[in-house]
Amino acid sequence: MTSRGTPSRFLQSVLHNGVGRYVPQLKRLSVLFCRHGPSSAGVRAFIEEGVVDYAKTNPGTVVYVSPQPGTIPTIVAEYLNGSVREETVTSRTSKEISDLITKLSSQSGLDVIRLRKPFHTDSPSIQGYWQPFTNRPACPGPIRPPALEA
Amino acid sequence: MSNFSRSAQQWATFARSWFLIDAKMQPPGKVATMCSIRLQGKHKPIYHAMSDCGDHVVVMNTRHIAFSGNKWEQKVYSSHTGYPGGFKQVTAAQLHLKDPKSVVKLAVYGMLPRSLLRPNMMQRLHLFAEDELPEDILANLTEELPQPRDVPRTLSEYTQEEKDAFPRLWTPPSDYKMK
Repeated sequence: MTSRGTPSRFLQSVLHNGVGRYVPQLKRLSVLFCRHGPSSAGVRAFIEEGVVDYAKTNPGTVVYVSPQPGTIPTIVAEYLNGSVREETVTSRTSKEISDLITKLSSQSGLDVIRLRKPFHTDSPSIQGYWQPFTNRPACPGPIRPPALEA
Repeated sequence: MSNFSRSAQQWATFARSWFLIDAKMQPPGKVATMCSIRLQGKHKPIYHAMSDCGDHVVVMNTRHIAFSGNKWEQKVYSSHTGYPGGFKQVTAAQLHLKDPKSVVKLAVYGMLPRSLLRPNMMQRLHLFAEDELPEDILANLTEELPQPRDVPRTLSEYTQEEKDAFPRLWTPPSDYKMK
């Protein structure tokens, strides 16, 4: 598929986040895992090692740890703009899960899709857009053929 | 910040201008080049082939265009009606007598790109055989373009003093018979 057919958006931030103060956009983080399953071993290790530290260093994010028997280990991230991202962490190590959560908490919740332009400005032109009368000498009165002017 | 609508600021950017060209004693090809550039919008810094940003061009005095050389007799306009034996060929002089706008029109038409936009661009070309323009077109004009050639003065436009002051290399004798 060509790049024209893929979804795209322009570079933007949520409500000028970070211009004044920075508001972390990740509001809720749910860690779903199984107490006994071998594919949840990495998640269990992360819960023992790092989840409390993460919750302390990110007071703006609510962290839920919910054991569910027989479930596929999943991390569900919910953002302030309403978007939800589910990441399956089957057979991941504790380090990989920590990196994944760091990435999720630093994202804004906007769709991760192709950017039309890698730059953005609120003031595209200081001197004003070009228009037909730019750099044209002022003309007194309407334009008339020479025969009519005389 | 972007509280005000910025889309309103670029409305004037895509406004169409109306240019006036006086074709009196001008070569049709030079006039057509000026028309073609403006009709396509190629004189604008915002030009893009896919944005229809061409301007209107008004050409007056197309009856008084000036071909150089012997193009009036030698330049041939060919067409085919589509019927057997329908190949027509007329010289520029014959075509100009039949329709005084057609020489400039065909010259501009040939200079525009062969695309689907060409009929729309031709609709923005307004040709007038004489220097009388209707009021609604006069009201739209925004700029008169300079003529590519200086209009020569005819002998009737010189005053008698200028004719008398013209330097003479040789004074004919009184009994000289003019041919």
